[in-house]
Amino acid sequence: MAIGSGLLRSGVQLGVDVGRVALRPAAGAVDLGRRAGARVTLDALDAVLASALAEAAADRVLASPWTERTMTRALTGPLVDAAAREVARGAVIEPMLHEVLAAEVLEQVARNPEVERMVASLFESHLLDEVVARLLQSDELWRVVDEIARSPAVTDAITQQSFSFADQVAGEVRDRSRNADALVERTTRRLLRRRPPTGAV
Amino acid sequence: MNDYAGLVTRAIAFAIDAAIINLAAAVVAVIVGLGVSVLNVPDAVVTVAVAAGGVAYVVWTVGYFTTFWSTTGQTPGSRVMGIRVVCTQGDDAISLRRALTRVAGMVLAAIPFFAGFLVIAVDDRRRGLQDHLARTLVLYVPAAK
Repeated sequence: MAIGSGLLRSGVQLGVDVGRVALRPAAGAVDLGRRAGARVTLDALDAVLASALAEAAADRVLASPWTERTMTRALTGPLVDAAAREVARGAVIEPMLHEVLAAEVLEQVARNPEVERMVASLFESHLLDEVVARLLQSDELWRVVDEIARSPAVTDAITQQSFSFADQVAGEVRDRSRNADALVERTTRRLLRRRPPTGAV
Repeated sequence: MNDYAGLVTRAIAFAIDAAIINLAAAVVAVIVGLGVSVLNVPDAVVTVAVAAGGVAYVVWTVGYFTTFWSTTGQTPGSRVMGIRVVCTQGDDAISLRRALTRVAGMVLAAIPFFAGFLVIAVDDRRRGLQDHLARTLVLYVPAAK
């Protein structure tokens, strides 16, 4: 019975191994195709971003009333507060950075001069001012600032800095006063025509 | 340069100590004065209180110097300026008796237009009148690294 069971198990394992070996070329081909597809997509994206059409399209999108309406609606809605809350919890930035930084697409897009121009025009537009203004009005942001300011690491650093500064000032005063000691002594002795003290330099 | 503290350093240390003493005394005087001002106290009591305040000031000043000199050898002002009062025989802090003698010596040194302090500038071991009377030295303390 046991011998039969063992033979059966060996037979099944052998079948699985044979299947894997047989499918290996197919899996390699699929992987190669996926990589080639990604490369072609990135090249196509580069070509589109470098074209004059992309510049004109970006200008039209940024200048359109639809963009302004949409951004204004988004900024005046609950989205900013919700985003600030998520940032305060650290739930957004970290996973987003992990995902985005890992992507090769971001690197290529960031290197593109057209993207730089679009970002520059975004910074020059009044939308950024509105975003900053909304962020500054957000209670969540100031709660985060308060928590950071009250954190032991920050208060310890400030205290340490204060002590270091006080020590530095006291040390400087000491050095100068010692020089003044020597000067006063030399002057007095010269006036009184006395010899310098034994051991003095 | 020798290790004996000079006139300028000691004068600055003394000025810091004087500021601490007078600030504390002023705070106490203001608190007591405000308290007395809201109470209907006879003039005789006020006169006695002022006299007692004067005595307390002297005791506070003498106690300040003697306590610090006889324990650590450094008043707060001396600590800031990096100097220390020691016996002439060694590096130990001075006794309470010598500390009291030194305070009296400082008063005597100030009487002849501070001439007792000016001796520091010409003495080989930079000793003032109070140091000669109490047999003490004032040394620079090496800076902590």
